[in-house]
Amino acid sequence: MSHQNDSCHTRVWLYGGLCGAFVSAGALALTFVVSSGQAAIVGETRTVEIKKAADPTVDQMKAAYMRPAMIPFPKDNPYTAEKADLGKKLYFDTRLSAANAQSCASCHNPGFGWGDGLAKGVGHGMKMLGRRSPTIVNAAYGQIFMWDGRAGSLEEQAVGPIKAEVEMNLPLAELMGRLKSIPEYVALFKAAFPKDGITEDNLARAIATYERTVVSGIAPFDAWIEGNDTAIPEPAKRGFAVFNTKAACAACHSGWNFTDDSFHDIGLDTDDVGRVKIVPGVLKMEKAFKTPGLREIARRGPYMHNGSLQTLEEVVEHYDRGGVDRPSRSEAIKPLGLTAQEKSDLVAFMTALTSQSDPVPVPVLPR
Amino acid sequence: MKLVKIAAAMAFLAGGTLALAAEKTIGQKGKLFSEKEVSIKKGDTLVFVNDDNIAHNVMSSTAGNTFNLGSQAPGKSTPVTFDKPGDIQVICAIHPSMKMLVKVAN
Ligand SMILES: [Cu+2]
Repeated sequence: MSHQNDSCHTRVWLYGGLCGAFVSAGALALTFVVSSGQAAIVGETRTVEIKKAADPTVDQMKAAYMRPAMIPFPKDNPYTAEKADLGKKLYFDTRLSAANAQSCASCHNPGFGWGDGLAKGVGHGMKMLGRRSPTIVNAAYGQIFMWDGRAGSLEEQAVGPIKAEVEMNLPLAELMGRLKSIPEYVALFKAAFPKDGITEDNLARAIATYERTVVSGIAPFDAWIEGNDTAIPEPAKRGFAVFNTKAACAACHSGWNFTDDSFHDIGLDTDDVGRVKIVPGVLKMEKAFKTPGLREIARRGPYMHNGSLQTLEEVVEHYDRGGVDRPSRSEAIKPLGLTAQEKSDLVAFMTALTSQSDPVPVPVLPR
Repeated sequence: MKLVKIAAAMAFLAGGTLALAAEKTIGQKGKLFSEKEVSIKKGDTLVFVNDDNIAHNVMSSTAGNTFNLGSQAPGKSTPVTFDKPGDIQVICAIHPSMKMLVKVAN
């Protein structure tokens, strides 16, 4: 049910002549409301005429994918080299888990496009987790975090898995004790946060700052966007057009990082309730997950929140079929009727989003 | 003048209050609300028009003024009347870029 129940309200709308008798502004209506409910009052939905924008040219489409010049850092946690360096050590330090066996990098491994290459993550005690480990590439540009959007900031996200029993299983208070017992960490925290040194918030700030520096490198696609016409092969160019028009992938996978962070049920066969656990009672959030970015996507299989699709070809097939038609399925998902060539062109396009990333040196950790 | 008296009498008989309520239209083009913040009076109506080319799901979980328009297709327009004073966070459940604050005065 999408509309609020109106039965607790009595409404009388007085329109036309009567209304005109005592209001001069045309946009005003006289409303007579007797109400004491707990909800706002939703009226009748009407159809209005919307001016349809002209179809964009290829150049207009390309303009929407320019790489940003700067990494955005939040005002309340601005970049400093001290924070980023400390954050990198923490990110790669297995002592952030109860078993001293897992670090952030265990599941968000630079070698696997900052994921783990598994269908589902592995947590404390080597137990399989419920969802695939998302990449942290371009997390600086995220508006909301985790598959179900339960973290509102990267700072909040960064400490979530550390304290989660099924993941790294280490209460933050205990971690503070561990860090304080390592003199080099005490000094590093002091340098990054002169005011209060080792605190839970500063741990989050340092890790988030490091994560924000993890940005996907220049891909052939970027060179093409910049004007090098031969930077990507013809199938990839055709795939880019299909992506933006017939397949309408760009309705959600929009912008240079190929996501608007929106939540959709894309019709996968899954028992996972997804976003609705965080936003209860909203039909369209059932089995809905956050739209992932597509940078480095060819390196980041298997795909989907549950790792159920092995290849990009399978992913394109899924979207072409439109998945399971159910009330919660996103309006953006429907059978696409793609030809075999359009499908292979889409894969060629996504492959052009892979950068020539440099190896990531693992930091020497404090002892 | 006569009409005003009739309307006032109707209001009196129904035991309610008579208010001149304003109506304001809020667009959703480009996954953004056309206003980040609006100040209205109790009983005023915001008309949420989907003038975008994709579906949206406008809603609020703010106590006293909860509502959920569900999936709203492009070209649809739905009025929402706010009759509790307070600051109401209106969002689109689908797109985190869509947030607006509705300040309802008494
Ligand atoms: Cu929306």
